[in-house]
Amino acid sequence: MSGIVVVGLFDAVDPAAAAARALRALPLPEGDVTTLSPMPLPDGAVCRDPRGIGFPRFTLVGWFAGALAGLALALGTYLLYPLITGGKAIISVPPTLIVTYEVAMLGALAGTLIAGFWEMGLCRFRTRLIHDPRIQEGKILLCARVSGDEEARRAMDAMETAGGTDVRPEEGEL
Amino acid sequence: MNGSDHLARTDPGALYRELSRSNLPTTKKWYLGVALLSLVVLWGVGCFIYMMKTGMGVTGLNRPVMWGVFIASFVFWIGLSHSGTLISAILRLTNATWRAPILRGAEAMTAFALMVGGLFPLLHIGRNWRFYYMIPYPNSRQLWPNLRSPLMWDAVAINTYLLGSLTFLYFGMIPDLAIARDHATGWRKKFYSALALGFRGTHNEWRRYHVASTIFAILIIPVAVSVHSIVGWDFAMAKVPGWHSTIFAPYFVTGAIFSGIAGVVIVMATLRKVFRLERVLTVVQFENLGKLLCTMSLLWGYFYFADFLTVWYNRNPEEWEVFRSYAADYLPLFLVMIGCNFVVSFPLLCMRRVRRSIPALSVVSLMIVIGMYAERIMIVVPSLARRNDPFIWHNYFPSWVEFSILAGALALFLLLYTIFAKFFPIMAINDIQERLFQTTDRKIGGVTVESIGMPHDTGKGGHG
Repeated sequence: MSGIVVVGLFDAVDPAAAAARALRALPLPEGDVTTLSPMPLPDGAVCRDPRGIGFPRFTLVGWFAGALAGLALALGTYLLYPLITGGKAIISVPPTLIVTYEVAMLGALAGTLIAGFWEMGLCRFRTRLIHDPRIQEGKILLCARVSGDEEARRAMDAMETAGGTDVRPEEGEL
Repeated sequence: MNGSDHLARTDPGALYRELSRSNLPTTKKWYLGVALLSLVVLWGVGCFIYMMKTGMGVTGLNRPVMWGVFIASFVFWIGLSHSGTLISAILRLTNATWRAPILRGAEAMTAFALMVGGLFPLLHIGRNWRFYYMIPYPNSRQLWPNLRSPLMWDAVAINTYLLGSLTFLYFGMIPDLAIARDHATGWRKKFYSALALGFRGTHNEWRRYHVASTIFAILIIPVAVSVHSIVGWDFAMAKVPGWHSTIFAPYFVTGAIFSGIAGVVIVMATLRKVFRLERVLTVVQFENLGKLLCTMSLLWGYFYFADFLTVWYNRNPEEWEVFRSYAADYLPLFLVMIGCNFVVSFPLLCMRRVRRSIPALSVVSLMIVIGMYAERIMIVVPSLARRNDPFIWHNYFPSWVEFSILAGALALFLLLYTIFAKFFPIMAINDIQERLFQTTDRKIGGVTVESIGMPHDTGKGGHG
C-alpha cells in the first residue's frame, strides 16, 4: 500500500466514522481506508479490514516443524549414543513424547511470532510509514490511499466536512 | 458505547504519565537500591566462585542428602514463575475485565523468576564448568545427553517456557513501547523505536495483534502446566520414599500456581506503593487475587492430604519413616509449611475484610511464599535424609555459603525487576487504556455502576 495517502486527525470516533463513510461513498475501496488509533477499535466502528487473518496457520506449521525437530533430537540422540540406562529401551516412547511436545510448542510460538510480525507489517525500518504521534493524545488518524489529485482533493473535502483537522496528503506506506 | 466521550475522558497523555512513573528521571534512591542489590548479588557470586574452587564440601550437603536448598530453590523459583504468565494468559483468554493492571508486572515476574530458577541446577551440579554436557551437539566426548532422564526433560521444558514467557512478555509490550516511543525524546526514543518494531496502531495491526495475543495465551498455558509437571517428575521418577508418587505432577502444578499468585500479590502491592498506582491497582484486583489464593490454598490442602492419606493407610515402612520424621526432626519446618499454606492462610483468605485489605493480603501472601519455600525443602530433604538404609540417615542444614547464594539469587531477581521497571512500561498501558475506552458509568436507580462495552463476536477475527 504505497503512494499518496490523505490523512486527517479526529478527536473522536463518531466524526472519524462519518468521514470514513464519506470516503467509501466517493467511492474508495474498503481496504484503502484505515485508522491509526491509540487503542483497538472494533472492526467496522470506523473502517473494516477486508483481508483475512492468515498467520494462525503458521502456528500449526511451526508446531509440526517443532515436533519434527523434537522427534529428530530425541531419536537422533538415542541412535547416535545407544546406551541402555535405567533398564529402558534405547528408543523409549514416553521421553520421546515429552521432548517432542516441548519442542513442538516452541515451534508453534516461534511460528506465531514470525508470521504475526510479518502479517502485521512490522520491522519495516527502511520504509517511510504514515504515522502521527498525536494519536497518543487520544486522537484518531484517518488514512485514505488515493490515486490522483482529483481523488485526493475529494478525500480531503470529505475529511474536513466531517470535522477532521490537519487534513493533508502524505507520501508513504500504510 | 459512546466512543467520543470515552476518548476524551481517558486522556491518554495523562494516563501515560501516571502509568510510566517508574521511567521518570532516576533518583538517588534508585541508584542506592541498585547498588545495594548489586552488592548482595556480587557477594552471592563470590560465594559461588568460592564453592566452585573449594568444592561442594563447603555446603551442608552430605550423603545421603545430596539435594539441598539449591534444588528446593530451583523448584520454588520455577513455581513462583508460574502464575505470572499463566494467570495473565488465563485472564486474557477469559477476557477478565480486571486483568489489565496486573498483566505486565506478573509477566515480568515470570521471566525473571525463571532466569533465577534456571541458575540453581547449574549451581548444584558441582563441576559447574561442565554444564554444557546438557547441550546436544556432536563432539569428541561421544557423550550425549540422556533424554530418558527427567533432568533433560527439565532442560528442554524450562528453555521452552523461558523463551515462550519472554515472547509473551515482549509481544504484549509492543503497543506500550510504541506509546513510549511517541512520548520519549533522546536515546529513549531510539531505544523504544527499535523495540516497538514500527508498530503504529493501524486497524490491521490491532486486529492481528489481538489474534496473536490470544494464540500466545492458548499456547503458553499447556507449556506452563507441562513445565511444573516435569519438575514434579524429577522427583516422582525416582524410587525414593516420599517422592515416588503419581500425584506429584498435579500437586506441583497446584503448588506452583499457589505460590505464583502469592508472588503476584506481593509484587503488585510493592509496585502500587512505590509508583503511587493507587488509581489503577485498586482493591478489586487484590480481592480477586485473594479469591484465587483462597481456592488454591484449598486445592493445595486437598492434594497434600490425598498424598499423606495413602501413605498413612498403607504404612509402607520406608515411606512412613519419611512422614514420621516430619513430626520429629522437621517439625518446625512442617508447622511453618502447613500453617502458612493452609491452617492459618485459608481461614484468613475466607474473610472478605482480609482480601479487601491490601496490607493484610500482602502479609498473607508473604506467609504463603514462606510456607511454599518450606514445602519445597520438606519435599527435597526428609525423603533423602530417611532414604532406605537407616545406617546412613543423616540430617541436613545449609551452610553459610548456601545461604549467601540464596540471598544473591533473591537480590538478582529484585535487581532485574528494578532495572526492568526503570526502562520498560511496568503497567500494560494499552490494556488499561482499552479497558477505560470500553467502560462507561451507568445509572441504575440510585447507584452508578461501571458498564463495559464488548464488540459482538461476528466470527470474523478475534479479540484477546
